[in-house]
Amino acid sequence: MNMHAQPQRTPAETALIDAFGDRLSLLPGDGAVMLKRDDAIETIKHGLPTRRVESWHYTDLRRLLNTVPDFDPAAMAKAIAPIVDGSTVVSILNGKSDAKVPVLEGVSFQRLSEKLVDGSAAPGLDPYGSDDAIGALNTAFVADGYFVDIADGVELEKPVELQNLQAGGQTHVRLTVRVGAGAKAVIVERQTGDGAALGSSVSQIVLDEGAEVTWLIVQEQPETATHLAQFKAHIGKNAKLTLFVMNAGGKLVRQEIMVRTTGEGADFKLRGINLLAGDTHTDVTMVLDHAVPHTTSTEIVRNVVTGKARGVFQGRINVHQYAQKTNAKMACNTLLLSDDGEFSTKPELEIFADDVICGHGATVTEIDHNHLFYLMARGVDEKSARGLLVKAFVAEVIEELDDEAIVEALEARLDGWFAAHG
Amino acid sequence: MPAVQDTIDRVRKIDVDQYKYGFQTEIAMDKAPKGLSEDIIRFISAKKDEPSWMLEWRLEAYRRWLTLDEPTWARVHYPKIDFQDIYFYAAPKSTPGPTSLSDVDPELLKVYEKLGIPLREQEILAGVQKTDASELEEVSDNVYKSGRVAVDAVFDSVSVVTTFKKELAQAGVIFCSISEAIREHPELVKKYLGSVVPTSDNYYATLNSAVFTDGSFVFVPKGVRCPMELSTYFRMNEKNTGQFERTLIIAEEGAYVSYLEGCTAPQRDENQLHAAVVELVALDDAEIKYSTVQNWYPGDAEGKGGIYNFVTKRGDCRGDRSKISWTQVETGSAITWKYPSCILRGDDSQGEFYSIAVSNGYQQVDSGTKMIHLGKNTSSRIISKGIAAGFSQNTYRGQVSAHRKATNARNFTNCDSLLIGDQCGAHTVPYMEAKNSTAQFEHEATTSKISEDQKFYVMQRGIPEEEAIALIVNGFVKDVIQQLPMEFAVEAQKLIGISLEGSVG
Repeated sequence: MNMHAQPQRTPAETALIDAFGDRLSLLPGDGAVMLKRDDAIETIKHGLPTRRVESWHYTDLRRLLNTVPDFDPAAMAKAIAPIVDGSTVVSILNGKSDAKVPVLEGVSFQRLSEKLVDGSAAPGLDPYGSDDAIGALNTAFVADGYFVDIADGVELEKPVELQNLQAGGQTHVRLTVRVGAGAKAVIVERQTGDGAALGSSVSQIVLDEGAEVTWLIVQEQPETATHLAQFKAHIGKNAKLTLFVMNAGGKLVRQEIMVRTTGEGADFKLRGINLLAGDTHTDVTMVLDHAVPHTTSTEIVRNVVTGKARGVFQGRINVHQYAQKTNAKMACNTLLLSDDGEFSTKPELEIFADDVICGHGATVTEIDHNHLFYLMARGVDEKSARGLLVKAFVAEVIEELDDEAIVEALEARLDGWFAAHG
Repeated sequence: MPAVQDTIDRVRKIDVDQYKYGFQTEIAMDKAPKGLSEDIIRFISAKKDEPSWMLEWRLEAYRRWLTLDEPTWARVHYPKIDFQDIYFYAAPKSTPGPTSLSDVDPELLKVYEKLGIPLREQEILAGVQKTDASELEEVSDNVYKSGRVAVDAVFDSVSVVTTFKKELAQAGVIFCSISEAIREHPELVKKYLGSVVPTSDNYYATLNSAVFTDGSFVFVPKGVRCPMELSTYFRMNEKNTGQFERTLIIAEEGAYVSYLEGCTAPQRDENQLHAAVVELVALDDAEIKYSTVQNWYPGDAEGKGGIYNFVTKRGDCRGDRSKISWTQVETGSAITWKYPSCILRGDDSQGEFYSIAVSNGYQQVDSGTKMIHLGKNTSSRIISKGIAAGFSQNTYRGQVSAHRKATNARNFTNCDSLLIGDQCGAHTVPYMEAKNSTAQFEHEATTSKISEDQKFYVMQRGIPEEEAIALIVNGFVKDVIQQLPMEFAVEAQKLIGISLEGSVG
């Protein structure tokens, strides 16, 4: 009965498959790594996901990814100042790590290219499923990145900033971080550049018992770049992870967040801001697995949509059968400010345990006219009043971060965006 | 928090092994050969004495169906259905026009008796033709006193009888089987059939378009308020048959109709397929209220047998200020795949969806709604309550979307689920798509966010919060369910009492 033939490959699919053939001799890796690359390109050969694949329902990658730039060995990206003064900066320029890694007490930095060559990075390269296009793309092409290990009990006073900077072409990088028992750290992941690049970036973090980490993803790609990113975390016993994601750029952006609680008492917080403008497409997709009893999570995502931007938030909370006493709450609020903008949201709950508290809420609306009236009645002109209300809507999420230097740094990014798009 | 004892007890009472309608009846049947082909479709069409355009319509749908893939996105798992192993047509052998109760096949009478339909109504159901006009009045008077409901009884593939046709005709309302409508009112059927759920809509709707055997047809003309409740009672009886009914309800300008649907099937080890299509059309200022108590055989305690229920239901608020309201109580079927939807095309139109879905045993429910806002100032409301027990999986899947031109679209969605035991699963998958900045969508899956004003009002009278919330939500749903006729309401009433305590998202 099934009369469907395998659809024709799109130019982008063909370009990726061809690029793999061309790049193969340049890609670092031992036998095990190269086998994983082969498997990964097979996934790409089956076609990029379309909206018929449930996890890609609102981001039809096959249709949206229409051009794939060539690798550009001549591209020159420049390192930039960290968002918080005094941070330890580690940069990846055009997909290549710096040979000189910083020295920081209690923290070791290793280049991923070396770990690919000796094969020790192989176990982390597996995509998580057949619909993991970003994982497959990255595994096929990843050439460099960093491996960071924070020793047990180390408490870092200043953030570590991992910069992934592009200047066009293709970049495929990976950041892997292990945080030892009882260690504390703030990690900033910067994703930016000035070219029309296609980039994939996979970040992985494991938090050992009692570790506490605040991880900030600040994505400010130009409106010409395609940015496909993944963040994966395992949160151990009594460990706490706060993930803050700010998307303020990019032509086609998909940020996936995969988090799993692996020890009792684990806590996860997601705070997200998506500032969408121009003719762009931004998708934040989260899958959170409460896999053990007594774990907690809260997720708040705020979106501002202007211009012709299209935004997506998909958030799925899985509560496994034995994960009793889970407490999980998720909210996604969107301000739709333009007639041509659109936002789609799919907050999912999958619950298999009967003694849990789970909830989600989602709203889409425009600016409250009563709020606007209140401000304007006090002599604030309409444009400023709108600006104030929109900023308050997103700043609320930032202010929760509780670290003055970071809050200030993020508010500065926010002001920069509003100045350019407000 | 876990479910409270009271709730557990109530759900237990409607567990799969408590299924009361599982008996089967030996009745002489007229069947088409097993399997599906163009010949079978021609056979069905010929049996129904259909005009040639209808046959063409069916064949076109069948050819399209051959090119479609079975959808897999729903959270239901089942072995592949062998469409060549199903009887697509089965009808009780008819004796021409029984004129008194004693002429009707006693087995058929027993069915209705066992299903708990009162004698008076049973007499009507079994198709007794009253020749004396005064007698007819007497009958309708009696029924009127006991709450008047006109019934279309569909037994396997055919409509056995439709009651109150004459009286409804006096009001201008047409209520008959769809087969009859195709013969008697082809202009209406041609105009509306497939206009809400096109033959190309989805796998099961396309299949239905090709092979549908019967169902109900309702036409309420301009300005008429239908004088009584209309209802259809579906009974699947024959082994290895599929039931493919097609219902079409049209409410012209300013018309109102309330329609109810009930269904049961015998207890068998094999799975049976039920793929229905329901289309509603509401023109300017019209209102259609559609209620369902779905109680198909759910399979036994080990998950053996039961009905696969793949249903496409859609209402089109075509006119301005029109309103369509869906109410469903889902307790039966091994698999439920059903999303009664509203297309809010007319300006100021309204869509509503109230659902209670209880799953037990190994039942799998993937149900919800779609509210497609196209017109200006349209509003929709979704209230869904899912209760999973045993080894069942209960999914709410709903879509709310606002088109670019749908200014001031408004939606409120609330879905709660409750798990009883740790072997079952409850899932919520809402899709929200806003393409208009004036859209205002709210989705909540918690119990704490009912109107603060209402809650305050109840609580300040000394009622604790949990009870206050239950009171408000139950009151809300009850409003609609109380309008179901007696025989359907019983099941629904049992569920209403279920406390919200212990709800998760």
